[in-house]
Amino acid sequence: MSARATASWSAAAMVIVIAGNNPVYRVLVALAAVNLLLAARRPGRSIRGLLLLVLVAGFFSITLNLLLSHGGTHVLARLPTWLPGIGGLVSLESLAFGAGVATGVGGAALAVAPLSLVLEPHQLIDALPRALQRTGAALAGSLNLVPGIATSFVGVREAQRLRGVSAGRAGAGSVLVPVLLTAMESSVQLAEAMEARGYGSGPRTRYQSEPWTAIDVLTMMSAALAAVAFLAGQATGLALDWYPFPVLIAPHASIPMVAACALLLVPSLGKNRGLKG
Amino acid sequence: MTLAPSPPRLSAASTKANEAGPIAVIDGVTYRYPAGAGPALADIDVRIAGGVTLVTGPSGGGKSTLLRLLNGLVPNYHGGRIRGSTRVCGLDAISTPTHRMARSVGFVFQDPESQFVYSTVRREVAFGLENMGIAPSAMPARVEEALERVHVSELKDRRIATLSGGERQRVAIASALVLRPQLLVLDEPTSQLDPDGAAAVLFACAELAAAGTPVVISEHRLDDLLPVASTMLSISGGRIVAAGDARDGVRAMPDPPPLVDLGRRLGWPRACITIAEARTLAPALRPAAPVQRHGGAVAWAIRRLTLAHSRQAVLDGISLEGGAGEVIVLMGANGSGKTTLLRALAGLHRAESGVVERPPGRVAYLPQDPGALLYQPSVTAEVELTLRHSRSDQPASLILGELGLLDVAGSYPRDLSSGQRQRAAVAAILAGSPAIALLDEPTRGMDVQARRALGRTVRRLAAEGTSVVIATHDSDLAAEVGNRVIRLEDGQLRDLGSPWAALSGETPWATQVGRLYPGGPVTVEGALACL
Repeated sequence: MSARATASWSAAAMVIVIAGNNPVYRVLVALAAVNLLLAARRPGRSIRGLLLLVLVAGFFSITLNLLLSHGGTHVLARLPTWLPGIGGLVSLESLAFGAGVATGVGGAALAVAPLSLVLEPHQLIDALPRALQRTGAALAGSLNLVPGIATSFVGVREAQRLRGVSAGRAGAGSVLVPVLLTAMESSVQLAEAMEARGYGSGPRTRYQSEPWTAIDVLTMMSAALAAVAFLAGQATGLALDWYPFPVLIAPHASIPMVAACALLLVPSLGKNRGLKG
Repeated sequence: MTLAPSPPRLSAASTKANEAGPIAVIDGVTYRYPAGAGPALADIDVRIAGGVTLVTGPSGGGKSTLLRLLNGLVPNYHGGRIRGSTRVCGLDAISTPTHRMARSVGFVFQDPESQFVYSTVRREVAFGLENMGIAPSAMPARVEEALERVHVSELKDRRIATLSGGERQRVAIASALVLRPQLLVLDEPTSQLDPDGAAAVLFACAELAAAGTPVVISEHRLDDLLPVASTMLSISGGRIVAAGDARDGVRAMPDPPPLVDLGRRLGWPRACITIAEARTLAPALRPAAPVQRHGGAVAWAIRRLTLAHSRQAVLDGISLEGGAGEVIVLMGANGSGKTTLLRALAGLHRAESGVVERPPGRVAYLPQDPGALLYQPSVTAEVELTLRHSRSDQPASLILGELGLLDVAGSYPRDLSSGQRQRAAVAAILAGSPAIALLDEPTRGMDVQARRALGRTVRRLAAEGTSVVIATHDSDLAAEVGNRVIRLEDGQLRDLGSPWAALSGETPWATQVGRLYPGGPVTVEGALACL
């Protein structure tokens, strides 16, 4: 999938997730995102870590709301009131609200995930306007350094620990300083290498313009339609928000809005075209 | 992949390049880095013509600076003060911006990781073309051509993260060649590669030179490079100390490769730079005395250990024991699991299954990147930090002197050359009396003198009872200090026994002396002892 089509898809998914707070639509967006990631993720990229992160975030959201929000009529338990902050009733409404927030956090994370799991960094850079191409190339190089910095952090921490340097606050400098210095050295070396390969010598060209395919066009059109339909639904009352307070009711799902969310399944109908130069 | 070490012969094209005059002329250049205490280059006069020009010299002697002069990175990128003139490919390399020199001079750096901009091979190679504003329609053919010249066309659709070290370095060379430079410059391109990877890179360089592109390479590992080099420049203390024919130059080197060293000490009439040449002159040796296996008590052990990355087993059900005072050398191709095994021994990598038994006491671990250790204001402070934490009353000067670092003891470690920095990291972790020392590629970027100094330190520690495990591609280090060589291959360990058995014969891991005397001594000293 092309960078612009993927970006359009993510933008539309994000609109649905943040324009309202109905968990039904958010869950549908999350499912569509997982479907897209499974169909089009880059070779070697796993979504296991992302899903784990979403689950952990969801767990924290539910737990925090359960403990800190004390409203509601369906009481599940009562915590001693002398417990600061968390003392009081624990209600089904709080649980439901926490779950609703969790669908928002998870949906948003999954909506933007294709930008990193489906696309190569250079594909995103290529989607920039021509005037930003030079900056984009520098950005692509910088992004390439990020995994190295993470690896460096682990390596430095381990090496210093074995030297007997404590891992606490006192030893933080022994880790952060080498990591920072190594990152700066890597940046300087990369800049030197880029200079040696002609970076900055004049107007740049681009290796290959990504060919537009039918699925790219369909993706952009369907994403735009989904976002517009959802916003229209919000304006007309078709896409109702959901609150579990004061009365706990199931979230409403309208068929046109479900259909709008289903439009996000369009790109996964195209087969994974694999890596592009 | 193993490539035949026989180099392509220099063609008429490169001979013509020699006749056509030098491609680079450096006249009276003296250069000082912005914060340099003294000149990094002093009164340099150099002519570079066709073929392969080898730049040698000790760590910190000025090799990298000289190379960067050829494409204008010195002084245009690094700043500093310069005097003299440099003409390369008809351009004034001092006043011409480096990004314009890039059309004429291709440059490949020591660490491929530090020079990649994109994450895929095809796109990476095209980066230079994009910078030059080449028409997109012309790019695919140019990229194909560059990859073909270093025999890695099949990698064009791969992600760089999935390539081996040798493949990455050849992609880096292709990225330089894509601009069709008139001169190719490589700064220690094989220092991080296993023998097969290094052979492939050198083979590609020799082919390019034979096809008419002059190549300038700086290296410490000269064994396989000398046969393809036509010219040699030796630089030390910022000054050219020898220049001329490579065969003549190697005779004058203070620390020549083992084969030349052996010939010199045996009074051979000429310098032999290939095994075939040396066989015509090498004397027969007395039957070798049986090599004693280390007989100390077991100090550490791994039993039925399985180590994995991302749930993929790297080493599967391996067992190994090491004695107190024993030096075990781990060898194997890039990616065979040497680092993973060292990290497991250090307690840094959790095993899927099995047991690691370590001796009580401090574990000294040298990671591949010396930058992971160095953050103190001076080399001495780095050593003293370790001594303080290990409650050792050993003076810092002991190990600094052993490793030849007294001259730079007060310097900021990160201002040192890569070889000196590596020695500073070694000093920082081996100070005191560790129970076990785990060294990951300790000779990276080190010159011969530094390697010998490291060897002395390792032998002292072993004599004091420290168990040492070294992961390395450096056969000469393995031959000098190893009691036992372990090969990592296909997820398993193979105990190859003593260096005499492991590092001789036709294996790519053999030392030069080991190739000359299969099954016999593997060092110059060993050969002399058997006369």
